[in-house]
Amino acid sequence: MMQNSEGTKSDSDVYLRVEKLKTQFFTSRGIVKALDEVNLNIKKGEIFGLVGESGCGKSVTAQSIMYLVPDPPGRIVSGKIYVGNVNMLIGLDRLAKITIKSETNVKIKRNKRLIKRHNYLLSKIRGDRISMIFQEPTLALNPVLRVGDQISENIMLHLKIEMANAILRREMATRKDYESFVQKVFSIGDKDQRGKEILDWCENYSISDAEELVGNIFLTYQDPETIIKSLEFIVNERKSGTDINRLSRARDYYVYQQKLFEATLKLMEAEANGRQDEIESAKYELNEAKREGGTFLSFRVINIFMRRRIEAPLRDAAKRRVIELLTLVNISEPERAAISYPHELSGGMQQRVMIAMALASSPQMLIADEPTTALDVTTQAQILDLIRNLNRQMGSSVLFITHDLAVIAQMCNRVGVMYAGNIVEEADVNTIFDNPKHPYTIGLLRALPRADRIAGKMVKLDTVAGTVPNLITPPSGCRFHPRCKFKMDICEQKKPELDDLGGGHKVACFLYQEPGGSTQ
Amino acid sequence: MANDTNVGGPILKSQTVKHRPRTEDFKHTFKLFIKNELAFVGFVIVLVYFAIAILDYVYPSYLGVRNIDTVASWVPQLASGVPGAPTLAHGWWYIFGETEYFAPIFPVMLAALKTDITYSVAIVITGVLIGTILGTLSGYFGKLYDEVLMRITDIFFSVPTLVLAIAVTTVLGKSLTNVVIALIIIWWPIYARLTRGVSLSIKSNKFVEAATASGSSGLRNVFVHVLPNVLSVVFVQFSLDLGSIVQLFAALDFIGFNQGSPLLPEIGNMLTWGTTYLVAGIWWPIVIPGIFLLIFTVAINLMGDGLRDVLDPKLRR
Amino acid sequence: MILPSAVDWMELRYFILRRILLLIPTILGLSIFMFILIEAVPKAILVTPYINPHVQIPYIIQEQNALKLLGFNYPPPIAYLFYLDRLFHGDLGLMSMPGYPNSVSAAIIDALPNTIQLTIFASIVSIAIAIPLGTYIGARPNSVADQASRVFSLTGYAIPAFWLALLLQLALGKGTIFGNPFGVLPISGSYNPSLIPYPAPSWFVNGYTDPTHLVIFDSLIHGDIPLFFDALEHIVLPVLTLTYGLLAGILRFMRAGMVDASNQEYVKTARSKGVPEKLVIKKHIRKNAMIPTVTVMGLLVAGLLGGVVLVEYVFSYPGMGYLTTQGILSYQVWLIIGTTLVFGLILVMTNLVVDVVYALTDPRIRY
Repeated sequence: MMQNSEGTKSDSDVYLRVEKLKTQFFTSRGIVKALDEVNLNIKKGEIFGLVGESGCGKSVTAQSIMYLVPDPPGRIVSGKIYVGNVNMLIGLDRLAKITIKSETNVKIKRNKRLIKRHNYLLSKIRGDRISMIFQEPTLALNPVLRVGDQISENIMLHLKIEMANAILRREMATRKDYESFVQKVFSIGDKDQRGKEILDWCENYSISDAEELVGNIFLTYQDPETIIKSLEFIVNERKSGTDINRLSRARDYYVYQQKLFEATLKLMEAEANGRQDEIESAKYELNEAKREGGTFLSFRVINIFMRRRIEAPLRDAAKRRVIELLTLVNISEPERAAISYPHELSGGMQQRVMIAMALASSPQMLIADEPTTALDVTTQAQILDLIRNLNRQMGSSVLFITHDLAVIAQMCNRVGVMYAGNIVEEADVNTIFDNPKHPYTIGLLRALPRADRIAGKMVKLDTVAGTVPNLITPPSGCRFHPRCKFKMDICEQKKPELDDLGGGHKVACFLYQEPGGSTQ
Repeated sequence: MANDTNVGGPILKSQTVKHRPRTEDFKHTFKLFIKNELAFVGFVIVLVYFAIAILDYVYPSYLGVRNIDTVASWVPQLASGVPGAPTLAHGWWYIFGETEYFAPIFPVMLAALKTDITYSVAIVITGVLIGTILGTLSGYFGKLYDEVLMRITDIFFSVPTLVLAIAVTTVLGKSLTNVVIALIIIWWPIYARLTRGVSLSIKSNKFVEAATASGSSGLRNVFVHVLPNVLSVVFVQFSLDLGSIVQLFAALDFIGFNQGSPLLPEIGNMLTWGTTYLVAGIWWPIVIPGIFLLIFTVAINLMGDGLRDVLDPKLRR
Repeated sequence: MILPSAVDWMELRYFILRRILLLIPTILGLSIFMFILIEAVPKAILVTPYINPHVQIPYIIQEQNALKLLGFNYPPPIAYLFYLDRLFHGDLGLMSMPGYPNSVSAAIIDALPNTIQLTIFASIVSIAIAIPLGTYIGARPNSVADQASRVFSLTGYAIPAFWLALLLQLALGKGTIFGNPFGVLPISGSYNPSLIPYPAPSWFVNGYTDPTHLVIFDSLIHGDIPLFFDALEHIVLPVLTLTYGLLAGILRFMRAGMVDASNQEYVKTARSKGVPEKLVIKKHIRKNAMIPTVTVMGLLVAGLLGGVVLVEYVFSYPGMGYLTTQGILSYQVWLIIGTTLVFGLILVMTNLVVDVVYALTDPRIRY
């Protein structure tokens, strides 16, 4: 807890913070030490590139962050993943008890109750705060569900409260609402600000399809009375005659569920800290929250039988949002795409759908695991453009994983270089390309054809000698030392820490640090 | 083996680098197979059943197994109103009790296993031979021949196996020999279909194309490239089908095709005898032969599943 | 969210129509096959049911007339056309068995509903159990429940249906084993004849009932509650026997499908969206797991139809299978060929339904 509050205070602009993440695969041939205490900090709105040879643990990092490592055989052994201020791996050590008798004989005893609760936590964070784009859209989309259904599923899971509130506002809109809105818009001088205000309002009143219309009204009319009348007309036309009582009851229920989740999260945090008094008070709070559930008893019974009816207005709103999202990712004929099955779309379109799905509930963090590897070159460029533009528009951070340095140079703000389950160098993109420090990074860049180095003559490209080591028995000390030209004695004995050389340029190599200094 | 490679010169040598020698491959497969405990247990049980059957051919009166064609050969030692219950008091022949005609179940059942296994193996092997040859050629040469063969197999697959077997046997005449012929007639299409699929997929492989390009003739291709690959698939299906055929054979005997040889020791026949005393609450003539049939089919299935895991390259790890 | 659009239904209609047209060669092939079987039987046996011993006309002349009637005085291809013509008129030949009608078609019409009833009951019970159970087990591979179901599947696959029927008669049948507290269910027939009042009601003729030919439903229609419960009791053991094999088959494929689908990439996608685990299993995994199960459904139904013959024989349940086995005993060739043809038609139709269901479950298979 101490570390948590301290950490969030010191770098408040960091959204995703991965601390000492250790993932292992317990196979019949031995334990694969895939990730060895990976640290990552990704700031709000930045694109962080993760690069390395195949088999160095890039994808495992992505899957670990999402807690999607296939189990068995894989498990996250230790570490912390803060998404915003929530640790996704809270209480990790109690989920399963791992007894290692030998490399090939590992017993894992899982605590089903805690795993269930952890899954509950994950289901609230994944998709909502953090989502992922996969490598192969053909495999990553469910073949038997319509594209629109797959996207709206995400919306229905995470945006129920917001959508219900917006619909209720629209249905119950009074003159007062319009007046205050018109006043507010008039008070704003800046044109862009005005546009943003209008957009927000439309979203808040679940009439986002009429956004242009509202904007035009403000452009054409100056008289507040006329504007209010027109607004009233627009909103009234979109009223669907939803049962307000039922919907507000449903909204309250969703809010109650959210409260329940927050109380559970508090309890999990307290349990992870192990302070008895905190646990007691968290338990008390959870019970209090649960007690409130008694008032929803009748609603829950109704919800079982009439779920489709109750959720119908929400589904309509979700459907509209799906079309918006599909337009956002540049799919022509979004209505048609929404009702088609994944196999009816091309690879590029499928990847756009994947992106739309990942963005459906506007997560703050997006993980893109080689999103263009399976696509052809022209489509690749379009998808990369799309991701960059969306990053700018929506301001969410991106963890971009690729083996292609050219893509990194084109896309990212900061870069981490990965080798055999470690991040060996981390810096902003210019520094990496102009002033690489780690021998591995240098080797990687030498293997890249560059216009300024070739300059008209034939230059033989370098390669990094050797291959990625077997991670069942990784090299001792620095995992790169068997392939390193500058190997020293200490490299075989000790693992170098990721040290800051200044300006956020971090390197894990003994060449750049005092041998004694790293012991601290 | 070693000599062959030397005689063949450099070309053959390079081939042996690519393919492991057959015996080596077989050893590796067998090792993988043994690792799967359940499959191995199934394999051992099947071996025991086969041993019983073979033993009877070698020493006809060993284990008390014999062909019982007349009532007189079963000495009615414990003749009373109903067949005697399982007991050890009269020697281990009577360990499972008696069935109709006061015949001791144990030796009769061993003879029955022999009958069933012999007939089933005969049926499946003949079916495999016909089906594999027709199917492989059909898959490899395709065109009209393939089309006709597939339409014919379609017809066979459009009737439930047991019903078809009843119809064919009835037409041929009610005897066990005809049951065997009928089962062969309805069983070959399964292999034809199976091997056709395999040989089609192998035909489209690059290595067959390469062989054709280097001047290998069609029939040679079938024997060298297609048939070995077909055989492993057929072998798996063969081992699984043995169980179904034993069941089917027993079932046909049970529902009334035993008229030519009502006293033949055969599991289905034994169950028919058992039904005579069903309402008298005499369970052993029904339960015990059935259990031995069940053990055999379960073992066959375990073995077949294990074989498939080992022989199917997709599943092999 | 979005229901299949109108276009899909149009496409589906064309698909079904095309499939029905494709059935015609198969059915013709089936009839040719049946005709070949008939040709293989000595003519003297074929004409036996057509000869009336009580008429003064000499045997030879009757035989000649029957052969002419059946078209056997022509070469086989022409005779086949005669056979086909009779099939079109619903004439499957004649038979002579005490207690049964003279016409094979009439006997089959009386018996067919019982067979369909058994298979449908068994299918419903199996599917209703197998799908939730398969979902539960497939989501927990290698658990205790999974191991138990594997043993169940294995025995269900390997157990001979007729032996299982006999076992159930011993274990649960009334009057088989003395003093067995579980022996409460009747072991033969489709109803207890002593419950029929004398004289029999008008809807009860020669052991067959009107209008559905199913004692269970007809007794309900005519308000005979004791008979209804009695008929229900009679159906339990046959359905139980059939269910065992079918359930084992479906469960096996359902489990394999679940395990296979849960290793797919789209399951990770679903989890990455924050779909709760229960919903991942129900919506994303199960829907895909059904596809392989549906594809083998045709094979399973073929097995079920084979099983129903044996089960009806053991329980003396008056369906098509029982009819066939009775025909074997008295060598009624026309009857056996007729039932074979009808079983074939049932299977062909089932496969059609399976194909349509398959097309509905897997959008990638588009018509």
